[in-house]
Amino acid sequence: MVAIWRRMSGVALGLLIVDLAGALLLTVVTPSFTSTYNLFITGRDFSILLLVALAQMIVLAVGQMNLSIGAIGGLVAIVESGLMVSYDTPVVIAIACGLVLGAACGAVNGLLIHWTKVNSFILTLGTSYVFAGVNLGITHATPFYHIPGAVASFGQARIGAFPEIAIVTIVLAVALAVFLRQTVLGRQLLAVGGNPVAAALSGLPVRRVIVTAHGISGFFGAVAGTLLMAQLGEGQPTIGVTWILPSFAGPIIGGAVLAGGSAPLLGTVFAMVLVSLISDGLILVNANPYWVQFFVGALILGGVLLGRVRAVGLRDVFRLKSTAPPVTDRPAEEPVPRRPAEQK
Amino acid sequence: MSTIAPARVVLEAAGIRKQFPGVVALDDVSLRLRSGEIQALVGENGAGKSTLIKILTGVYQPDAGSVTIDGAPVRFGSARDALKAGISVVHQEHNLIPQFTVAENILLERIPTRLPQLVDYAAIYREARPWMKTVGLDMPATRSVSALSAAQMQLVEIAKALSLQARILLLDEPTAAITPHETGYLFRVLRELRAQGVAVVFVSHKLEEVFELADRVTVLRDGRNTALDHEIKGLTQDQMVTYMIGRSDVLAQLPARPARGEPVLEVRDLATEAGARGITFSLHRGEILGLYGLVGAGRTELAKAIIGELKVTGGDVLVRGRSARIRDLRDALARHRIGYVSENRKEEGLILLHSVLTNMSITIWRRLRLFGQWIRRSSETAAVMPLVKQLDVRAHSLAQQVGTLSGGNQQKVSLGKWLAADVEILIIDEPTIGIDIKTKNALHELIWNLAANGKAIMVISSDMPEIVRLADRILIMRNHRLVGDISNSHDYEEVSAAIMSRLS
Repeated sequence: MVAIWRRMSGVALGLLIVDLAGALLLTVVTPSFTSTYNLFITGRDFSILLLVALAQMIVLAVGQMNLSIGAIGGLVAIVESGLMVSYDTPVVIAIACGLVLGAACGAVNGLLIHWTKVNSFILTLGTSYVFAGVNLGITHATPFYHIPGAVASFGQARIGAFPEIAIVTIVLAVALAVFLRQTVLGRQLLAVGGNPVAAALSGLPVRRVIVTAHGISGFFGAVAGTLLMAQLGEGQPTIGVTWILPSFAGPIIGGAVLAGGSAPLLGTVFAMVLVSLISDGLILVNANPYWVQFFVGALILGGVLLGRVRAVGLRDVFRLKSTAPPVTDRPAEEPVPRRPAEQK
Repeated sequence: MSTIAPARVVLEAAGIRKQFPGVVALDDVSLRLRSGEIQALVGENGAGKSTLIKILTGVYQPDAGSVTIDGAPVRFGSARDALKAGISVVHQEHNLIPQFTVAENILLERIPTRLPQLVDYAAIYREARPWMKTVGLDMPATRSVSALSAAQMQLVEIAKALSLQARILLLDEPTAAITPHETGYLFRVLRELRAQGVAVVFVSHKLEEVFELADRVTVLRDGRNTALDHEIKGLTQDQMVTYMIGRSDVLAQLPARPARGEPVLEVRDLATEAGARGITFSLHRGEILGLYGLVGAGRTELAKAIIGELKVTGGDVLVRGRSARIRDLRDALARHRIGYVSENRKEEGLILLHSVLTNMSITIWRRLRLFGQWIRRSSETAAVMPLVKQLDVRAHSLAQQVGTLSGGNQQKVSLGKWLAADVEILIIDEPTIGIDIKTKNALHELIWNLAANGKAIMVISSDMPEIVRLADRILIMRNHRLVGDISNSHDYEEVSAAIMSRLS
C-alpha cells in the first residue's frame, strides 16, 4: 500500500481526493447513494467501463487509438450468446471463443496499422464499422435472448454491495499493472510508445509490441462485452455502442500522454470512479439523464486542459504562441542543434 | 573587416539576472551591441546563452537588470514586442511553414491584400523578391519551402527578419545544420548585412567560426560574463577556451593505444538503396575508425545499411569473418553485437519522457529477464548503476526523465545503453554534436577508453578537429562513395589538408 501511495502521480492523487470529496458529498446530499442497491449498480457499471477505459489506455500507451473497442465488445457478446443460445455450446467454450475473437480483432487492428502505416484513428474507425457490420449481419439487430442462467446470474450476483463481476475487473487491472511494470513486453510497450524510432534503434521488436497492445485492447473490450452480456442477461447487438466517450475519458482525465509512452493505470481508475460518481450523482439528484453526457464531455475537456496546464503552465495555455515551449522543467537548457537527414 | 561608420550602440543589456526554480541562469550578465557589428556569444551548454537570447527577444522577462535600445529602456512582454522593436531571432529549428512558398513565408506576418481580405499573390512575389535578393536566394519566389535545404531555409528566415525591419539579428547556432560551403555563403551574407548597418549576434559552438566571422565576443560561463564585448583581434583560441571553461588544456592530444587487433567488421563492395556503391573497408578490434564527410555525403545512410535499417543491394558485410545478413538493428544487436548511436539523440536515440534507467537498460531487458518475461528492477539498477558512474551522467536519480538532462548528459545516456549491452562493434554517429567542450572531451576520452579495451569503434563526424583527434584511420566519403582511406598522424594541418584535397 505504502509503495502504491509513494508512486502515485499528482494526477492520480488529485483525482482520488476529488473522488473522496464527491463520494462524501453524495452521501450527505442523497441518502440513497449509500444504499446497497445503488452502490451495487454503480459498482457494476464502473467495473465494465473501467475495462473499456483500460482497453483504450493500453493503445494510447503506444501512441495510437482504438475506436473499435465498443464494436469488438458488441461482436464478442453476440458471438458468445449466439454460440450458447443457437448452438448449445458450453459456456466456457463459448466465452473462450469470444475472448480469443476479441484479442484477434485487436491484433488485426495492430497488424493493419503496422503494415499500411495508416493512422490508427482512421483505421480503427474503419474496422469498427466492419466489426459492427458483422454483428448486424449475424443478428439483424435482434438480440440473442435466454443465455444460460449461470451466465446471467453471475451478471447479477453480489456480495453485499460488491458486484461479483468486479472480481474480473480487479484481476485484469492488477494483471495489467504487473504486465506494464514487471515484464519485458510491458516495458517494451511503453518504450515503443515513448519513441518508436528510438525503440527500433535500440533493438526492440516494434511490430510485436504494437500488435500486443492492440491485442490486449481487443481482449479487454471482449471481456467488457462479455460482462455486459452477463449483466443484461442477453446478447444485445447494441452492446458497446456508447463506449467511445468513456474509453477516452478514463485515460485522458487520468493523465495519459496522447503521444504515447505513458499508462497511468491508477489515474484511469480514479478518473473512471469520478465519471461513475458524476453519472450516478446526476441520476440520484434527478437531473435530466440526457444531460449526463454533457457533464462527462465537459469533464473530459477539463481533464485535457488540466493536462496541458501541467505540461506548459497556465500562462502559455491561454496565450496563442507560434511555438510551444518544450515540455521540460529546465528552462535554462541549451537546445541541441538538429540536423536534417542526409540527402540521397 | 572594419566597419565604415563609427558604430553606435543599438542594444545594451546590463546587469541581467534571471532565476528559475532552483537555479540562477543568469547573474549580472551584460551584452553590448553596435550597429554594423557582428558580436559572437559563446559559452558552454548551460552557460546561459539561450536564456539571454530569450530575454532579449521577450520570451522571458528578467528578474533584474535593464535592456535598452538606442539608449531608451525597453521592457518586452512578449516575442511580438521585441519584433516590433526591430529584434529578430533565427532559431535552429526553422519557424517556417513548409507547404507555403518562399515568398509567402517571408511576408507571412503581413500578406498583402487586394480588396479586403483577398490575397494579392502578384504583390507577394513582387515584394518578396528584393528581400530574397538581399540574402542571395537565387530561385523562384514560388518555390515551396519544403523543397529547400537547411541552409536555404535559414536564408529565408533571415530575409523574413530583414523584411520586418529587423536592425538586430540574433542567430542561434546557425551553422549547426549546414555544410562548410553553405557556411561560407552564410558568412558572406552576414558580412553584407553588417556593411549595411545591421547588428548581428552570432551564437556558436565552433570557435573557428567565431574567429573567422565575429568582430567582438561576449563569453558566458555558469550564467556570468567572463568576457564582455571583447575584441576578437588579438584574442587566441586558448584564451577563448579559458574564458569558456576556466582552463585551456582540455583538448590535448590523446595518448597512444595498443595496436589494433583482428578485423571484426569487413565491408566489401557494398551497394545500398540509398545510393552507396563500391564501399570497401574493414574495422578492427581496438581501433577507432573515422568516417568523415560533409552533410549529405551518405555517411549516416551507410551506417544504417550496415546495421540493416536501410536496404543493401549488393556486396558483403562480414562480422568476425563470417558473412552476415543483418535484417535490422535488433538482429545486429542480438546476433552480431553491433550497436549504433544515432546522430539525432532526441528523435532516434532516446525516449525523452522516460527515465535514465529505462533509456539505459532498454537494450538488456531481454538478457535480464527471468522465467521468460519477468524483469526485476533491482537487477536493472545493478546493471545500469556502474555505467552511470563510469559515464559520469549528472542526474539526481535513475528515475529522472532523460528529457530534463542537459545535451551532454543525454548523449552519455544514449551511449550508455550500448555499453550496458556490451556490444563489440559500436558505430557512433556525430558523438558530440551540440555538446560543450568539457563534455566533448569527456566523451572523447570515453571512446578512446572503449577502444583501448578492445571495442571496435567507427566514429562518423563532420567535425574535422574531432576526427583528427580521435581516429586512428580516416575514411573520407563524398557523394556516397569512399574517396579516401588515410592513416591519421594527428597533425591537424597535415591531415585536414589531406582530407580537403580528396573532397575537392
